[in-house]
Amino acid sequence: MPGISPSRSAPKSPARASRALWPLLWVAGLTVPAVLDSSWVSIAAMFAIYAVSALSEDVILGRGGMFDMGHAVYFGVGAYATAILNTSFGWPILATLPAAVLLAAAAGALLAGPLTRLRGDYLLVATIGFNSIFVLTMQNDPGGVTGGSDGITGIGVPSLFGFPLASQSAMFWLDWVVLGIVLLLMRNLDRSEFGRAQRYLKQDELAAGTLGVDARKVKTQAFALGAGLAGLAGTLFAVQLSTVSPASFVFTESVTLFAVVIVGGPGSVPGVLLGTALMFVVPQIFRDFAQYRYFVFGIAMIAVMVLRPQGLWPQRRRRA
Amino acid sequence: MGTFIQQVFNGLTVGGIYALIALGYTMVYGVMRLINFAHGDLCILGAFVGLTLLTGAAGSGHSGAVLLLAAFVLAVVVIAAAGVVLELVAYRPLRKADRLSAVVSALGASLLIENSIMLIWGPDVHVFPGDLLPATTWTVAGASITFVQVMIILASVLLMAALYLFIHHTRFGTAIRATAIDQDTARLMGIKVNRVILTVFVIGPALGAIGGLFVGIYYREAYFTMGWTYGLYAFIAAILGGIGNIPGAMLGGVLLGLFNAFAAGYISSSWQDAITFALLIAILLVRPTGLLGEPDAGKV
Amino acid sequence: MSALLELRGVGISFGGMRAVDDLSLAIEEGHIAALIGPNGAGKTTVFNMITGVCRPTNGEILWQGRNIAGAAPHQIAALGIRRTFQTIRLFPGMSVFDNVRAGCHLRARQRWWQGLLGLPAQRREEAALAERTHEVLRRLDLDGAADEMAVSLPYGLQRRVEMARALVVQPKLVILDEPAAGLNDAESAELSQTIFAIRDSGVTVLLVEHDMNVVMNVTDHIVVINFGRKIAEGNAAAVRDDPAVIEAYLGRDDDEEPVA
Repeated sequence: MPGISPSRSAPKSPARASRALWPLLWVAGLTVPAVLDSSWVSIAAMFAIYAVSALSEDVILGRGGMFDMGHAVYFGVGAYATAILNTSFGWPILATLPAAVLLAAAAGALLAGPLTRLRGDYLLVATIGFNSIFVLTMQNDPGGVTGGSDGITGIGVPSLFGFPLASQSAMFWLDWVVLGIVLLLMRNLDRSEFGRAQRYLKQDELAAGTLGVDARKVKTQAFALGAGLAGLAGTLFAVQLSTVSPASFVFTESVTLFAVVIVGGPGSVPGVLLGTALMFVVPQIFRDFAQYRYFVFGIAMIAVMVLRPQGLWPQRRRRA
Repeated sequence: MGTFIQQVFNGLTVGGIYALIALGYTMVYGVMRLINFAHGDLCILGAFVGLTLLTGAAGSGHSGAVLLLAAFVLAVVVIAAAGVVLELVAYRPLRKADRLSAVVSALGASLLIENSIMLIWGPDVHVFPGDLLPATTWTVAGASITFVQVMIILASVLLMAALYLFIHHTRFGTAIRATAIDQDTARLMGIKVNRVILTVFVIGPALGAIGGLFVGIYYREAYFTMGWTYGLYAFIAAILGGIGNIPGAMLGGVLLGLFNAFAAGYISSSWQDAITFALLIAILLVRPTGLLGEPDAGKV
Repeated sequence: MSALLELRGVGISFGGMRAVDDLSLAIEEGHIAALIGPNGAGKTTVFNMITGVCRPTNGEILWQGRNIAGAAPHQIAALGIRRTFQTIRLFPGMSVFDNVRAGCHLRARQRWWQGLLGLPAQRREEAALAERTHEVLRRLDLDGAADEMAVSLPYGLQRRVEMARALVVQPKLVILDEPAAGLNDAESAELSQTIFAIRDSGVTVLLVEHDMNVVMNVTDHIVVINFGRKIAEGNAAAVRDDPAVIEAYLGRDDDEEPVA
């Protein structure tokens, strides 16, 4: 076919090399506590947590094509679930983890009911509304369990087989292992019928329907999966900071997650990781200039979109 | 009865302001299907520009009315110019790109403007001078109506009437409506679509700057995150009336203003916003095209 | 013998406009049937009603005797009805292989969590579906283009890819919406052979077509509609000579090239 360049064999070797590269990078990351000082360890831990949360947004926004601008809700549900179950009910942290994931996934599936009936901008606006309602509810402290605007403090440390993971490095490893598991899940998602059905719907919902793709079902599952993974990140977040408050889950956080996916490259794991590094890690490094953070974000978001509308590291064409 | 009339006037005042700001959202959405997230921040930037003139010229000996007029003119000019720059820099290059790119660009512009205000004027709440306008108060059926309220209501009505006439009774207004219906066809008919969009980015922010300055004058304060708060309310008003629909934005603004005024009387203020958002979601589900929007015809 | 698909008094209105009115027709299993009519006669609307894209305002659509009017597109697909579109609707960001693979969606038995975990059973299913896709690509002579972006192919090939996507799971009925549109003479001659081959593989075919050569050569049964109403029905010869059909196509002006 003239004019069509990608041949079958040429791009394969670099792709294979990069496949081997990612696990290596992940393994190298494990050594961060051994080679870098504690402030870097906590930055790397926060990177892992926000990466999980951004990848979970990508499930809904990047892969699902649903404009979810209230993703901080699910992150918050997970964090609050862990905080409340641990401080008010005395559950061990690791026991709260599945509960946080399931509660967040349930919240996602529940909200997906009305949300999947909306399209495009209407969905985006509705998710902003849900985000605001969530934050206001946490602030109003219903039943006296959320601690109002101050939130909940004194969240315990996780322990594994009786050993408390109290040190900064131990928590980092926990976060890093979770990130590794989520990266594996994302890889499998790409290769599964569920992941493909999402792509069909995103590219042409009508054609997908005539091939038997049940749009409501796939979208609801995507919301549940994305929300559940965000809840997982929420647990890690609550543990890392040992405190949660409504301010961590406001609309601006949702905007940042949204922007991470679009700026990095929707549907692209390396893109989302790169976006996470730029939007969450770089500000940690330049903490002295904290008041310029969102000013610079603003400029960067416009600049990246104008210069590379497809994102910094777009999803490459892949074989199913 | 007195309280009821009082709430009606309070609601109309706030509603007029929402409507002025909502028009900017709805016009931009109408012609280019983009939620201009930066619009609320532009409006509040207008309030700060006006405030700077008012405080800077405080001892100059001019009368309050002259100063206020000058503040409005300056705010309108600066914000309309900012609107044009916004369109040229952040939106025009993305006309053909995926719509999400434009959304993120708009969000970036919102962060940029909001934080520019913070960096220039600081993070504190600024107080608007209160002696610019007569403190006259009228009593109507037991409710007290201030001069500022009357001014805001009258000005909003006049501006909206002028916009309505412009949109519906001039050639350029027709071009705007045509572009809103179908950009490509409008282009084929010889309408300069880019010029239409640029005009919308002059009119919307100009009206918004007036609305923003009204916010400052009415509540006597301005702070940098205010653009988000009022922008969101105005945006909800635009959706309520039917996004993209100009009379809808006016109606939505007034209805939302009245709703808020009455909700404040009967519902605890800490839940009031949550109820407003619940209302927004309910509208989206029941009638996403709003009160005055045409329901979507199913197309294949 | 009861019909595979039967429409009884089906009608639909769009905003007061009667697009299809009181239409009845039956398609026998194993036949090649055609729905023809001038532009704007409502042919694609009929297809859209059968495939669940829009819901008829009245009437019944019977699939093997069961009323399916108003079911969602994915439910219709699950019955074994597949279609192509007049304006080709391939997934734009995907290769030919991935597009055709999409047709296998209902064959996949894996649950979403099995896919996430990448269990061996899921992997085996993936391999089997890929093999089935390759088989269809070979059958329709598309295997050379498997890795190309589907939408970058020439028009005729894109139509064939869309057909492959509809056929990959061996449906009971395939509905082809103007399969010859945009094809050159050689391609449309080839199309007739392809349609016979589809029928011979056990798939009932319903097509909308403008190309009268294709219609007259391949069909067992033709239904002609105009302004949303049926004006004639029968085999190719009967329909060709029907005065109502001639009038519908040509008006009273004999200047235009005759039908068939």
